[in-house]
Amino acid sequence: MGLQAYLTLAAVVFCIGFFGVITRRNTIGILLGIELMLNSVNINLVAFARFSGDVTGMVFTVFTICITVAEAALGLAIVILLFRVRRTVTADHLDLLKG
Amino acid sequence: MSGEVVAFWCLSAVLVGSALAVVLTKNLFHAVLWLALALTGTAGVFLLLDAEFLAAVQILLYAGGIVTIVVFAIVVTERLVGERISQTSRRIAGGAVVSIVLVSLIASAVMQRPLADVRPPMAEDLTREIGDTVPTRFVLPFELLALLMLAALMGAIYFARPED
Amino acid sequence: MTGDGTFALAALLLHALAFLVLAVVAPLRRLGRPAAWFSILCAAGSLVSALLAWQRHAGDAMSRLVWEWLPAQGQTLATVGVLADAESTIMLTLVALVACLVQVYSLGYLSDEPAPSLGRYYAYQSLFAFSMMGLVLAPNFVQLFICWELVGLCSYLLIGFWYYKPEAARAAVKAFWITKAGDVGLLIGIVLLWRQSGTFDLTEMRVLVDNGALPLAGLSLITFCIYLGAVGKSAQFPLHVWLPDAMEGPTPVSALIHAATMVTAGVYLLLRTEWLFALTPDVLLIVAWVGAFTALLAASLACAQDDIKRVLAYSTVSQLGYMMTAIGAGFAAAGFFHLLTHGLFKALLFLGAGAVIHAVHGNDLPQMGGLARRMPQTTVVFLVGTLSLAGIPLFGGFLSKEEILGAVWAGGLTGPFVLLMMVAFLTAFYMFRVVFLAFFGTPPARDTHPHDPPMTMALPLWILAALSLGVGIYFAVAGPALPFGPAEHEFTSPDWLMPAAVGAAVGGILLAWLTYQRRAIDAATLASALGPIRHAALRRFWMDDLFEGVYGLGLLGFSRLIGWIDRYLVDGVLNVVSAWTVTSGDDLRTMQTGRAQDYVYGVALGLMILLLWVRWALA
Repeated sequence: MGLQAYLTLAAVVFCIGFFGVITRRNTIGILLGIELMLNSVNINLVAFARFSGDVTGMVFTVFTICITVAEAALGLAIVILLFRVRRTVTADHLDLLKG
Repeated sequence: MSGEVVAFWCLSAVLVGSALAVVLTKNLFHAVLWLALALTGTAGVFLLLDAEFLAAVQILLYAGGIVTIVVFAIVVTERLVGERISQTSRRIAGGAVVSIVLVSLIASAVMQRPLADVRPPMAEDLTREIGDTVPTRFVLPFELLALLMLAALMGAIYFARPED
Repeated sequence: MTGDGTFALAALLLHALAFLVLAVVAPLRRLGRPAAWFSILCAAGSLVSALLAWQRHAGDAMSRLVWEWLPAQGQTLATVGVLADAESTIMLTLVALVACLVQVYSLGYLSDEPAPSLGRYYAYQSLFAFSMMGLVLAPNFVQLFICWELVGLCSYLLIGFWYYKPEAARAAVKAFWITKAGDVGLLIGIVLLWRQSGTFDLTEMRVLVDNGALPLAGLSLITFCIYLGAVGKSAQFPLHVWLPDAMEGPTPVSALIHAATMVTAGVYLLLRTEWLFALTPDVLLIVAWVGAFTALLAASLACAQDDIKRVLAYSTVSQLGYMMTAIGAGFAAAGFFHLLTHGLFKALLFLGAGAVIHAVHGNDLPQMGGLARRMPQTTVVFLVGTLSLAGIPLFGGFLSKEEILGAVWAGGLTGPFVLLMMVAFLTAFYMFRVVFLAFFGTPPARDTHPHDPPMTMALPLWILAALSLGVGIYFAVAGPALPFGPAEHEFTSPDWLMPAAVGAAVGGILLAWLTYQRRAIDAATLASALGPIRHAALRRFWMDDLFEGVYGLGLLGFSRLIGWIDRYLVDGVLNVVSAWTVTSGDDLRTMQTGRAQDYVYGVALGLMILLLWVRWALA
């Protein structure tokens, strides 16, 4: 299989994750969508690295995974805090910035 | 049809299917489990791309770490709210249209030019090469990453501290 | 080219030094009298320098001491410095002399003034003297114009010296406005002249004119514009209305600025550019007629005034008209001669009037009367000044007035000549009216006991009186040869001129004597005989009303129109635009739902645009 196949697969997964981000009402659900999107980016990075014969992309994937973990931990902490403060899990209710 | 192609299609099916399940399932807990499957599928794709180390990291950190955290968060919030959190979606049609347009645009951009089909030869042991590169060539991003992790850790602790 | 401009420059810079020290060293200024003495010291040094400069520049000697200023594209646009020749140094001497005497005199006159205010007064005085000297010595039009404006500013500051008096503040603004109206003409004239000749420099321009290299087309307009500046500054009709009001300032200020020096700047300007005006005889004719008319108008106004300073102010306007007429007749030297003698005796008259005002604490003639007994010294010097102004032989004004009348006759201007003869009669009449009313006659009942002024005030009076008399006697002995200027404009007066002029003056004196001293002619009868004229004169010939009308209808109407445009058109447009902004902002506000997911749609849109752009760019 060529590079294009892997990139297309990543694009599909990315858009599925994007769909989750814009449709989910639950904040944790949104976070799950974001995880999917990050994953597809990782696929891209590894595929490019493999097909260009350069290990850099793979090293970056390692970094991305680490950052994703940090992001997930922090995001979930924020979710818990939101629960405490606003007593809601629904993203629709979090509209303090409404104009 | 070689074994790689078969494996790719199988993995793609698993990956796309589980991803769809993640975003469509009503039950939040099930969604997390589907996510774990999707992450494992990704690890399989990594294996196809000769990145064994990354596959291992993927399973350990994602499937092991993040999924655990998310489950933990669900449990905690459900306990706080005192009811079962149902997972509903809104504006599914709009989101679907946007997503499909987006994926077709990306795919057409990918297909616009012929890209490499042949894998150039790489070092036998990619794990060793990653290990050699990180603390030498990428030492600065690596250290910055450590800093970021520390900051995230402190932030998470701060947010989750008990109420006064 | 003998002599150099160093002494002239020193005279100029000493006053600048006095002003700078008084302006910068505030503690010294607030001390009052020490500041005054410092200023007087500088003025005295300046007087000595000016005298030395005059001595070195007698005859045809001329020296230029200039520095480059405003360098523009390789050439110098303007210079700054001094141009010393016979005319400018003698004018410089007059300015230095009167400035010095007035500063000494002010010490006595303003003795009741609080110390800080006295320091301020002397700072203004020094600034004025510096600016006036800069104007007199200006080698080019740029410096001349700057100093021209500076003396205008000083005039404003000094008229409004008692700024807490509403009428003084009003008079200051009026003087500034009206002279400014003329200054606009001057500025336009200077710039037009520069376009025509390519230089601001007086000497270079004179060379151009002498070689016939200056194009004559449109020159009349230019000289007329320059003349407008002189009209404003020298209080010619119809811009004369500011000068009588300027009498609200302290009397020494009136003596220095509004009699001897600043108001003569217009005459001096025309004298300096005499060779330019000679090219435009039509403008010169205007100058002559306006001058003669101004002289008559102001003289008739002076007869109806009860305020001693206003009489003198109108008299100044009238005499300025005299000088202008001489210049218009093409004999600028005669006008300049009268400028100098007038500077002496009019300063004397003003300072004498100041002494009277100081003694009786009022300006009104009816409040005075019988002062000759109580103030003998003042009476003597005032009489000297009056006789000079009336043009009695052996006194300062006699020969210069004679010169002007002769010049106007020689210039073939019969009409203005007749007007000027009438003015000679009126001048003698209104001045002796003042003398008889103030110094003779029956004193009114009053509480105060007027007495001669203190030494600081008496000394300048005596010096000026001696000079007025001395100048007259000198010229009576040495003949009317002018000690300066080119002798090319020679003319011979007809033999009947002198008796006629003296006769007119004596007639005026006699009429005043009969009316106000002997009471042989009742003043009221005289007034009623001249009913309409007197009435008109009391209303100042409606000139002020005219200006007020123009101001009220024209300027205020225009301002209201502008105000309406601003309020309804400009503001209206702005209000509409601001209302649009508010409503569109209100509408756009709904875009900000506050929900993060709605914003992600924006991200998706951006991503799509990026992808489309990539496709288009790679295609």
